Amino acid sequence: MNRTRFAVVVPLIFIPVLITGGAVRTWAEDNKTPYPSMAPLDQYLMERNAEIAMARSAAPESISGDAEVRVLGRHGYETAAKGKNGFVCVVQRSWISPFNDPGFWNPKGRAPICLNAPAARSYLPLILKRTELVLAGRSKAQMFEDLKAAVDRKELPAMESGAMSYMLSKQGYLGDPVGHWRPHLMFFAPLTDPAAWGADLEGSPIIAFNGKDDPERVTVFLVPVGHWSDGTAAPAD
Amino acid sequence: MSKPMTDRIMLGAFVLVVVLGTSWQARGADAKAPYPSMAPVDQYLIADRNAEIALARTAAPPSISRDANVMVLGPHGYETAVEGKNGFVCMVERAWMNPFDSPEFWNPKNRSPICLNPPAARTVLPITVMRTKLVLAGKSKEEVMESVKAAIKKKELPALEAGAMSYMMSKDAYLTDKGGHNMAHLMFYMPLGTVWGANLVDSSNNVSEPFPGSPLLLAPTYKGNPEPMYMFLMGTGVWSDGTAAPM
Repeated sequence: MNRTRFAVVVPLIFIPVLITGGAVRTWAEDNKTPYPSMAPLDQYLMERNAEIAMARSAAPESISGDAEVRVLGRHGYETAAKGKNGFVCVVQRSWISPFNDPGFWNPKGRAPICLNAPAARSYLPLILKRTELVLAGRSKAQMFEDLKAAVDRKELPAMESGAMSYMLSKQGYLGDPVGHWRPHLMFFAPLTDPAAWGADLEGSPIIAFNGKDDPERVTVFLVPVGHWSDGTAAPAD
Repeated sequence: MSKPMTDRIMLGAFVLVVVLGTSWQARGADAKAPYPSMAPVDQYLIADRNAEIALARTAAPPSISRDANVMVLGPHGYETAVEGKNGFVCMVERAWMNPFDSPEFWNPKNRSPICLNPPAARTVLPITVMRTKLVLAGKSKEEVMESVKAAIKKKELPALEAGAMSYMMSKDAYLTDKGGHNMAHLMFYMPLGTVWGANLVDSSNNVSEPFPGSPLLLAPTYKGNPEPMYMFLMGTGVWSDGTAAPM
C-alpha cells in the first residue's frame, strides 16, 4: 500500500474519523478556505428518498437493507426507515470533519456511513450532537466548547467495544480533493495510541485518527477494502 | 452478488475453511483425514532458529515487526528469542491453532506467522502458548481441548482485552494444503456474539452469506469451542513486504 499517497489524501478527506482531528489554533484559517462559514442550510439538505438511498449505499444491501435509516432535516436527523438488524445508516455532512479542515463547511460533502449496533449506541450520538449544534447556529469555537462540556459531563457515551462501521459508498463525496475516495471500514475506540494497532506506520494497512486534540476523544482506525458496496472493484490506492 | 465479490468471499472462505476448520463432528473422522494424528515433533520445528525469527517477522510490515518480541517454537513450547520494545509479539503458529475439528489440525507443514498487538499479546497469545505446551506434552486433541476449557473455567486464561488484533500478512506463510496456501489479512478478536456483518464459515467447510458483499469473515476457530471469543478476518490486499496480494 502506498503510504505516501495515504499521507497526502487522508488528511484532506472528510470522513467521520476526522471528527477527531481538529486543532483549535488553526480555525483562524477559515477565511482562507473556499468555505469560510456555513452555507445556507438548504445547500446541505437532500431530497428525502435520495438521501435514504445514499445512506444505504454505505454498506452492502445485505446489511443496509435491514438497517435503520436517518435523514437530515432542518432540525436534525430524523428516522426515515425503521431497521431490524441493529445497524443505522446516515449521510454525514461536512461538519463531521476536523475543526481545522478547510472543508468543514463544504456544502457538497456527503459521507454515507452504516454503523453497527455498538457504534449506533456510542458513535452516532457524536454525529447527532455536532449536527444539533450546527443547526442551532453555534460557531465552530462554540461547538468545540459545547462538545468538550458534554464529554466532561458524560452526556456523550464512551465508545463501546466492537463499535465499527462501513463506508463503502461509491456515491459519497468526502471532500473536494478526493471525491468518494476509497471504500473502507472503520473501528472506533476510546482514545488509543495508534501504535497499539500498528497504524500509520510504513506498510501498515491501518490508518488512525487518534483524536487526542478533539473534544470527543475517540480514536478511529480505518482500513480500506477492495470493493464498493455494489460489489464493483475499487482502486488499489 | 457480483462475481468479483463472490470470488473474494470464496477466497477468504477457502482460506478460513481450510486453515481454520471443518465440522466439529469430523473429529471422529480423523482416521480418514490426511493427518490423523500428530507427526513426530521434529516435523513441526524449524531447525534454523534465525529462519523462524525471520519468518515470524514477515507477518507484519517491518515497521511493526522489527521492534516486536519474537517467540520461536522449541521442543517444549514457545520461547522468547528476541525481546521487543513496541509491545507486539510475532511468532509462527502451527496447525494446532486450527479448530479442533480441522482435518489439518496435525498438518506438520503449517507455518502461520502472526504478529499480535499488545492487547492480543496479553490475552490471545496465552491461548496459543497453552495449546502448544499441551500438544508438545503429548496430549490428544480431546485432552488439549478439555484442558483449555478447564483453564477458562478456572480463569487461568485472561479475559479478552478490547482492541486485540493481529497481522497475518506474510507472503511466506503456509496456512493450508489447498490452493495458494495463503492470504494476507488482519484479524480482530471480539467477544462472542459481536455483530459486524461478517459472512460465516461453518463447521462443514461451507460459507454462508448472511451478509453478501461484506468484506468481513467470521472464522470458525474459537467461537466458544472452547475459547470464548470471535475472530474476524479482513483481507488487506497487500503483503507485509508491500507487494499486492489477492483481495
